[in-house]
Parts: sequence; C-alpha cells; structure tokens
Amino acid sequence: MGITALRTENLSKRYGRLLAVDDLTLDVAAGEVFGFLGPNGAGKSTTIRMLLGLARPTTGQAWIFDTDAADVAVAHRRLAHVPADVALWPRMTGAEILDLLGRVGPGVDAAYRDELVERFALDVSKPAGTYSTGNRQKIALVAAFSTRAPLLVLDEPTSGLDPLMEREFRHAVGAARDNGQTVFLSSHQLAEVEAVCDRVAILRAGKLVEVASVAALRRLHRTEVSATFTGTPPDLGGVPGIDDLHRDGPVGVRFTLDGSPAAALHALADAEVATIAVREPSLEEIFLAYYGQDAR
Amino acid sequence: MSTATLPSRPPGPALAALALRQIRRGAVSVTAGCAGMSALVVTMYHDQALDPAALEALARNPAIRTLFGEPVALDDPGGFTVWRTGAILAVLLAVWSSLAATRILRGEEDAGRWHLLLSGRTTLTGAVRAHLGVLAAVPLAAGAAVAAAMIAAGASAGGSLLHGAGLAAAGFFFVAVGGLTAQLFPSRSAANGAAAAVMVLGLLTRMVGDGLTELAWLRWLSPFGLVALTRPFGADRWLPLGVLAVAALLLLALTAWLAARRDVGGAIIATAGGRPARTTLLGSVTAFAVRRTLRPLAGWVAGVAAYYLLIGLVTRSMTDFLTANPQFTEMAAQAGFTLGTVEGYAATLFALLAIPAGVFVAARLAALAADETAHRLALLLAAPVTRTRLLAAEAATATGAALVLITVAGVALWAGSAVAGAGLTLGDALAGALNVVPIVLLCLGAAVLALGWMPRIVAGVGALPAAGGFLWQVVADSIDAPAWIGVLSPFAHLAAVPASSPGWRAAIVMTGVAAAAALVGAVGYRRRDLRT
Repeated sequence: MGITALRTENLSKRYGRLLAVDDLTLDVAAGEVFGFLGPNGAGKSTTIRMLLGLARPTTGQAWIFDTDAADVAVAHRRLAHVPADVALWPRMTGAEILDLLGRVGPGVDAAYRDELVERFALDVSKPAGTYSTGNRQKIALVAAFSTRAPLLVLDEPTSGLDPLMEREFRHAVGAARDNGQTVFLSSHQLAEVEAVCDRVAILRAGKLVEVASVAALRRLHRTEVSATFTGTPPDLGGVPGIDDLHRDGPVGVRFTLDGSPAAALHALADAEVATIAVREPSLEEIFLAYYGQDAR
Repeated sequence: MSTATLPSRPPGPALAALALRQIRRGAVSVTAGCAGMSALVVTMYHDQALDPAALEALARNPAIRTLFGEPVALDDPGGFTVWRTGAILAVLLAVWSSLAATRILRGEEDAGRWHLLLSGRTTLTGAVRAHLGVLAAVPLAAGAAVAAAMIAAGASAGGSLLHGAGLAAAGFFFVAVGGLTAQLFPSRSAANGAAAAVMVLGLLTRMVGDGLTELAWLRWLSPFGLVALTRPFGADRWLPLGVLAVAALLLLALTAWLAARRDVGGAIIATAGGRPARTTLLGSVTAFAVRRTLRPLAGWVAGVAAYYLLIGLVTRSMTDFLTANPQFTEMAAQAGFTLGTVEGYAATLFALLAIPAGVFVAARLAALAADETAHRLALLLAAPVTRTRLLAAEAATATGAALVLITVAGVALWAGSAVAGAGLTLGDALAGALNVVPIVLLCLGAAVLALGWMPRIVAGVGALPAAGGFLWQVVADSIDAPAWIGVLSPFAHLAAVPASSPGWRAAIVMTGVAAAAALVGAVGYRRRDLRT
C-alpha cells in the first residue's frame, strides 16, 4: 500500500482558549475504510473541516492524495463529502440539487446515482424544504457516492437514517471499498464502524489516543472471563493479568484479563473448572473504557 | 432522587424576553435615529419666508405632492420637519418593523429553533403573539421619542404628538404585515418579499393619491397615505390614524387566527408537492448564482420600474411648475434638489436609485452569508470550487443584476416622461440611471468587506454607502452642516447626470475605494474559517 489518500501532520486548531484539535498526525492509506471515533466535542468535525479546507489549521497541515488540503480546486477533484448537518436550498427539488452537485462536483456516475436514489427510496421530485433530516442526509449520501470519487469523507452520515437505510449505507460503503475507494467515516454508530471499518482512530479532547484495526483494539483491551468450579473456587488474587475479580455465586468467579492469559490459565487449570466463558469486548465497551473516566 | 423544579409560571415573560433579546439593538438604533433626525431638522430650521400665495401654489402642484407628499405648514419648524423627514422615517420604520417581524417569527421557525421552543407549554399562537407584542412596542417607542424630541427642540406639542403617533402607527401596521406574511409563507425570503410588495404598493398608492386630485381617496387605502392625511401642524386630524390602527389590529387578529391554523414549521400557503426538475442554470457556480438571483431580481425590478414610471409620468407638470415658480427651484436646491429642468429633475430622482440598487447588492451578498450560516455551502464547497470563485460568481451576478435594475429604472422613467411629452431622451435617461453605479459598487465593496471580516452584518454594512449615505446627506443638508460633514456621503460626489456631465473623477475614486474594500474583503473571506 504505497498511496496515501489522506494525511495530516501535527494538525492543530485553536479557538480562543480551546484547543479543539491537538497535534493530530494521521495517515489513511488508499483503499482503506477508516473509522474516526470520539465523543461529542472531541474535535472530529473540526478535523474534517480542516481536511476540506473549510477551516484553516492553526498549525500543521493536511493533504488529500499529496495535495495540500487548502488547495481545494485540486484536492476536491478527488473527494466527496457528506456533512454532519446537511442543509439544502429549500425551494430546489432533490433532483435539482443532485444535478447541481453532480455538475459542479468531481464528476458523476449517472446510472449509479439513479440506482442509489432507488435504493435509498428517495422522492427527488419534492422540494428540499419538505425533507426530513434523514432525507436530506440521503441526498448528500447519493451525491457523494455517485461521484465515485477516490476519497469519501463522511461526517456522521447515518445519524438520521433508519435501520433499513443504514443497511443500504453499509452496502454502498462495501461497493466503494470493492471499487478501491477510500472511506473516511466519522461516526457514533459503533456497530456500524465495527461492521465496515478496517482501522479506527479514537480522538479524545482533540488528541489522538489510538489508531488501530478493530481486531487489534480488542487485543489491546481486557477480555472478560467468567468461570464456575465444581468445588470451591481458587483464590486468584495476585495472579498476574487478573483484575476486577468478583465472586459470582458460591461456585463462580468473574474477572477481566489484561495482557497474556498464561498465568491465569495456569491458575485455573489447577482448580476444578466446570464451565468457562471468554468474551471479547465490543467496540462500544472499548470506546466507553477510553472515555468512561474522562469524558470529552 | 427528587430534584426541585421551578414553580410553574406562565411562559409569557420568558417569551417576551427572548423576543426582546433578538431585536433590542435594532430597536434602540431605529428609535434613536428617528428621534435624532427629527430633532436636528426642527432645531436647524430657518424661516423660509415664503409668501402664502407661493405656499398655496406648492401645495397644489401634483408633482411636488407625488414626490414629497403634500406640503403642510412649511412655515412652521414642525411642519417643515414633517414634510422633510416624515415620509423617509415612515418608510424606515416600516422596513425595520416588517424585516424584524419576519426575522424573529419566520426566520427563527425556519431555522428549527421554534420546534424546541414550542415543545414546552407555549402554543404557536402564544409565541407569535408574545413576539409581535414586543415588536409592536418598538414603533410606539420610536414615535414617542420623535414627539418628545421635536417638542424638546421647540416644535409645538399638538403637531409633534400627532406626527409621532403617525410614525408609530405606520411602524405598528408593518409589524402586523410582517407577522401576517410570516404566517402565510414558508420561507423568510418569501415573507420579506410579500411585505416589501405591500410597502411598495402602499408608497405608490400614496404617490398617485397625492398627485391626482380625482384619486385623492386612494390615500385612505395606503398606510403612508393615511399617515400623510393626518396633516400634523396643519389640520391635525386624528381620524386617519384611527383607521390605520384599526387596520393594523385587524391584521394582527388575522395573524393570530392563522397561526392557530397551521403546523409549527409549516405555512398557510403550503410548499408545492412534487414537480419535475428544472435543471437550467445549474451547470456552474456562476449559473447557480444567477438562478438564485432571478427571483428576487424580478421583485425589485417590478417595484423600481413602477416607481420610476410614475416619476416619469409627472415629469412635465413638475418642471412646468418649477419654471413658473423659480422661488421653489431655489428652495428645492436648499433642500438638496436641483429641479429646474427635465434633466435636473431626472438627475435628482435618479440619485435616489442608488438606494434600491445598493441595498439590492448588499442583500445578495447577505444571502451568501446566510447560506453559509445555514450550512448550505458545505456541499458546494466540498466540490472543487474555491471560495474566491464562489465569491466572484456571487459578486459578478449581483453587479449584473443591479445593472439590469438600473437600466430598467432608466427605461421606465424615459417611458413615463415620453408619455407625458417631457422630451427626455432615452440616452439621457440611461446616463442618469447609470450614474449611480459607483455608489452601487461602493455597496458591493462594503458588503464583500463585511463578508470577509464581519459576516454577521453583511446587509447593514453593505447598505451603508447608499441608505446611510442618503440619510447622512439629507440631515447634513437640512441642518446646513459644515462642508466636511456633507462630503462624507457618497451622494455629495454624485454629478447631476443628465443635467451636467458625469463626474468621472469622483466615479473613479469611488470605484477605486469599492475595489480596495472588495479586495480586502476577498482576502478575509479566503483566509477565515467558514461558519459551516
């Protein structure tokens, strides 16, 4: 993977006393579906605004396929965007807006656009003023996917969609991936990120706290183990890697496992284990583990 | 866990406070402006020493009456002030009142903020009532301030009170008009357009009614006509004010009745359902700018064309009158008008064209700022479109549209004067109209400057060279201000085309200033963060 679709170097944005994005260095390879996570106010949208040249970085720089992100006339020929808060001209119909965006945008696959309109069940003959939040979002999604642009920058694109439409969205992301396009997806829908993303970045208070594949994130985190014993449960206190040890009824224990499981398995093997269940954390649990103590 | 909740109080005061927060700045400036201007003109009034026969002739002349309203008691400081500033202040209050009403009603509702507001105990009708109630207090305060200021400056109490009440009633009526159009139309721009149409129609009706004796009754149908019919410092009639107040109250009642019969976020005149796509003028940013300008341009063209056609129609009687009464040519010159010939008359009235044309370009740039605030530009600017290109497209389109507006005004005045047989050539009429282009460019420059550095106040800053400059000149002329104060208005530098040849130097200087402002603004627009 030689080509970089999106890159930032020491990107920072300061609003008065608030450092909204703090020294963000990020590298998204071409063809990757990249999740961008963080609670409200973590700086996700500010980062995206800088990637799109809508906001100027206080320090640092961003590149879209090795073009300075501030040079929008060139950079935007290779990207399409779905904003978090889609606002449309109320008197124009959906079809007119799609036509406009197709003609000023980086190009459009008209057949695919018609297919997407069909899939997302959009009535494009209505003026945009009559659209719900979800329908406005669908217009932006159809416009973005139908460009077939090499990079899609999506800012919480499914927050107003129903589960059926969310499925269509995942379908479209899958098609983009098969097509070799890069998707940069900022989202709160952790199940969705888990389902479609190769790698995720986690942002907290403007700082990047983690960039890893979803599988690697799981590995980095504690596995939850519950076991029952035929006799008295052994004393697992002090065993390396075992944390949060609880008794679970007279014959059971629960604990979390951090790092290598070898010592814990040894300790368990010496006792009479009746059942054992090992559960990997969901992305949601990982997410909450990052933010639980220190919100924002 | 039990938490203490606030005791249940009626939501009225909270709503009123919310409405007040949104209008307080404008309310204070409009009140202070009206009172200050009236007091200044009263204070600086010099006895014009007109003989009664001349006054009689002036009051009888249809053209004078069409343009400036019926002169009443010009020999009195108060009466002169009413004639000189009354119509301007009535229009100013009407514009502010209707714009403020549509802004805090339809604008807030359109932005979705009323969904939150009305999820509480407040009903839609209740919210509309509370907002209009607060708003209605502003013209009342402005009228009271005008009366107080004039009395303090030495005008007689009875006439001052009536004049103040007249201004208040005009403002109050347009609060109601704004409130009503905000219920009728689904967008703020449509509501503003309808309110503006009522205003222009009211003005034209007043002009026709003042000008033609046999149609004098028309003034009873116009809010501005009713205000003029009160004749402060003369006949001092209160009845027309009663009519206007009752009309306003009826409109308010209708507004409340309609508010109770529609959905939050909806309008009485519903948005059309589906329709086939109209894909002309969507091919580029410039084409799209043209597309969005056409509809407002049509409205402005209709109003300006009607006004200048009427002006053209009375050309002949105006100039004939002035030739017969040279005393007034001099008096008009004192008031800032040079009206001796057809050309001089046309030049004077074309100078006024700078105001609608300048406000129009300011409004177009303000629409771009509004698109940004409403996040509509995010999708457009995610395309390979630079901000400079977007701004250039908008500015060029606004300028082109203003040129259309100006040309239409020139042709309309020429057509009217041709019908009246006044002998003004089309070339002269167009030259006179195009003479205001530098001031329009100043408005454009100011608006772009504001867009780059102070995007919240694009409309105000953009309208300043034209509307502010005009008021500045009126006041400076009325009070015989020192020359250095007068020259601050761009109107002081406008040559009287077609009566005299164009002032190229002033035009070049104004254009240069406009270009510099636009450049600085464009740099700011390129550099700043967009509010999307």
